Amino acid sequence: MNPDHPLILVIEDDPYLRQYLSTTLRSHGYGVEEATTWEEGRAKAHKLTPDVLLLDLGLPDGDGLSLARDLRATSRVPIIVVSARGREEDKVLALDMGVDDYVTKPFGSSELLARIRVALRHSAEVSGPPPAVVELGGLRMDFASREVTLDKKPVRLTKNEFDLLAVLVRHAGQVVTNGHLLQEVWGDATGAHPAYVRVYMRSLRKKLEPDPTRPRFLLTELGIGYRLKPDPDA
Amino acid sequence: MPNRPGHASPVPAAVEGAGTGAWEPRFLVPVDGRLASAGLIRETARMAAAQGVVWLAVYLDASQRTLYTRQELSRLGANLCLAEELGADLVCFQPTERPPGRELLALAKAHRVTDLVLDSAGRSRWLGQPKGAHPQPLNPRDLGLAIQMVNPLPEHSDPRLKAWPEAMDWGHLGLALFIVLLATGVGFVVYHYLGLADVIMLYMLCITVAATQFGRWTTFIASVAAILTLDFCFIEPRYTFVVTDFQHIGTFGLMFGVGWVILGLAERIRSQTSLAQERERHSRALFRLGQVLAEGGSPEAIQHRVDEYLRRELEVPLAVLLCTPKGDLADGNGPDAPFTPADLALAQQALKQGAPVGQGTETSPQSRWFMLPLAGLERTVGVLAVQPRPEAVSLPPDRMSLLVPLASQVSLALERASLAEERTQARIRAEHAQLRATLLSSLSHDLKTPLGSITGAITTLLDPGPNTAPGDQKVLLNAIHHESRRLLRMVNNLLDITKLESGQVQVKKDWVAVEEIVEAAISHMEEQMGSRPLSVDLPEQWVHVDPVLLDQALVNLLDNALKFSPPGSAIRIRGAVRDGAFRLQVEDEGPGIPPGEEELIFEKLYRGTGGALAPGAGLGLAICRAIAEAHGGTVTAGNQPGGGARLTISLPLENGDPGSVLSQLNPDLTSDLPGAAHES
Repeated sequence: MNPDHPLILVIEDDPYLRQYLSTTLRSHGYGVEEATTWEEGRAKAHKLTPDVLLLDLGLPDGDGLSLARDLRATSRVPIIVVSARGREEDKVLALDMGVDDYVTKPFGSSELLARIRVALRHSAEVSGPPPAVVELGGLRMDFASREVTLDKKPVRLTKNEFDLLAVLVRHAGQVVTNGHLLQEVWGDATGAHPAYVRVYMRSLRKKLEPDPTRPRFLLTELGIGYRLKPDPDA
Repeated sequence: MPNRPGHASPVPAAVEGAGTGAWEPRFLVPVDGRLASAGLIRETARMAAAQGVVWLAVYLDASQRTLYTRQELSRLGANLCLAEELGADLVCFQPTERPPGRELLALAKAHRVTDLVLDSAGRSRWLGQPKGAHPQPLNPRDLGLAIQMVNPLPEHSDPRLKAWPEAMDWGHLGLALFIVLLATGVGFVVYHYLGLADVIMLYMLCITVAATQFGRWTTFIASVAAILTLDFCFIEPRYTFVVTDFQHIGTFGLMFGVGWVILGLAERIRSQTSLAQERERHSRALFRLGQVLAEGGSPEAIQHRVDEYLRRELEVPLAVLLCTPKGDLADGNGPDAPFTPADLALAQQALKQGAPVGQGTETSPQSRWFMLPLAGLERTVGVLAVQPRPEAVSLPPDRMSLLVPLASQVSLALERASLAEERTQARIRAEHAQLRATLLSSLSHDLKTPLGSITGAITTLLDPGPNTAPGDQKVLLNAIHHESRRLLRMVNNLLDITKLESGQVQVKKDWVAVEEIVEAAISHMEEQMGSRPLSVDLPEQWVHVDPVLLDQALVNLLDNALKFSPPGSAIRIRGAVRDGAFRLQVEDEGPGIPPGEEELIFEKLYRGTGGALAPGAGLGLAICRAIAEAHGGTVTAGNQPGGGARLTISLPLENGDPGSVLSQLNPDLTSDLPGAAHES
């Protein structure tokens, strides 16, 4: 990986969208490779070992989802899915399968670039040991002492609330599905129910967000999961 | 093919003293359960039609089930139905003799019949020699009747009328013998105190009881048993079967005779009673069917109710098959009446022929089903499929007498219903066509406007004029951005309304905190809201909804509020629980909703009359309504007391919330639930 010019593989069949993506990404300093079909995408992903993969779910010769599954089997490359609106189930399916994030068509370049930055940062972190302390805007989370402060004031979180926030913080900027959160916090505990996530998210929000409808940290992705703002207070 | 030897003149040579109309020929064809009978019926109908005369089809009362074999019963039904369709007057009669020749001739006479139509097998069957009764063979010509002999169709089988067709009822026999035994016991006492004459009376009583209560075999055996016991126990010399006094032989004969006469009377009463009961059942069935049909509804609803009602009433497998507008049969059929492809093909044939097919008819007589087309006034609306069973008491063998009136009632009701449905469909189609037209004209305007701005701005950017100011580029780009957003919103709305209306949207309900939905809606509207002051006032509430759909509804309400209020004015989102429903309200500071338009604004493509036309295709609020209704809720519009519109989505609250549900589920996992533990 070239830290200055990370390589992005764009697998997208629409020529104009592909052109727009390439132009935008190049202008922001990324190296770009293009693929237009399932087969080409698979071949190039294996050969070029890109740093981030942009994957359209509707490819002409195959399901993008199956390509993501295929790639995940051998590689940890961050995959960002490009999907049409209103297919929440598809997104959840892709995310639970190991895809890192998604953008919904039509999307602005700032949104796309933010997702790519987050994906790159996470793939860099995966290689090193997890940090003991994370600071995001006014939120400071100490994993060793299990202490959380908000704007330098301590916040008392219950065990489940802390675990929930920890998962979101480790994936800061990335969407985390409800199923993923449930699994991470409650594991395989019998009787674990998707509603746990909702209940504890509400209590967590009450402690962190003075106005939950204009959140500072915790974003809701309806029908999918939650996302911690990557750059709160920015 | 049948031919008539005596073809020259069907008018009989001698018809004496028959009164007015005597010279008009009148045919009579006896109908039975033979296959050949159908050919006879057709031939009679042909002859009658050629001469334009009335004809009768006579059959033996079928409520005396013992007269026919099972197979004959079902054929008889079909034959009678054929005769009725071909225009015969059906006459049922109950002869006392087998064969019923004399009685048949008497009946013919009474109905002023001139010609009997018979085939050779039928002749012996109907006019054959009753055993020992009449020394001379019957000659219809003696009574002034002509016989038209018709060659029978080749017969596949000719089961004879059974002389003793009744099955033995062993229970009845046992009971009868027990009565004889009892009488014998009592007889000893009576004999001791009163004498032989009274003992004989006692045995007579036994035979009478058997004759009135039980069948023929039982009566016969009981009579023999009574006579033998009487002989053995009481007639001198006692305890032998020897009879010395010749007078006693006469007594025995008398006992036997009385038993037989009583049996005949009882049988006749029984058959008349059963006939009367059957007729009553028919009229009751018709009456109740009328009630069932009076409820109306769609053809499918009627089909369902009729299916259910008739199956219960007739106690046989049965189904009403509906006709599609194209003239095919709809696939739907009753769960209790599964059809094989062959059955369905047969039903289709009934539909095509417009005549009954299947069991007992000439088309596929081997089928389990009897299919009767349901002919309305103008068209055939379906097929009534019945599986006749001889043991099903409620469906008589001459089933046409019951099925035809039932079917005609059903046909008319179905025809009425399907006509009504077609009218509704036509109206909906017209409305859709209207909607499409409006949509098209509105779209061509609404989609082209933003596209026009975008294209214009882009061409300017590609080829800037010499006097382009440095800031112009930014202005144009902003315009493109804004217009593409607008275009996207419209396309999304169009897709949404199409999906919602075509029922492609499934409501995936989940427990969601209200603030999450509001948060998502606000973030979706962030760009459009700009610097508009927005206040939010929400209770802590869980709702059981499809969060994505509700977000869409709220986005549309916000969009509506933005459009119809002055720039910079405040917008409020309020939530409240009232009357078992959760209300989500969006209030603005615009001119409000013109009186009388509170409902209209939720119509598709309605854009309001007050003031300038607002941008958009007028779909947003229609989407809101569709979403609210998909949740069993409503969306209403009104004005606030101080001015400004207030749109309210009201959703019925469902019991429970995830918090309470979860603590019941598993206290361990929710031990630190904030509601339970008091933490700051």
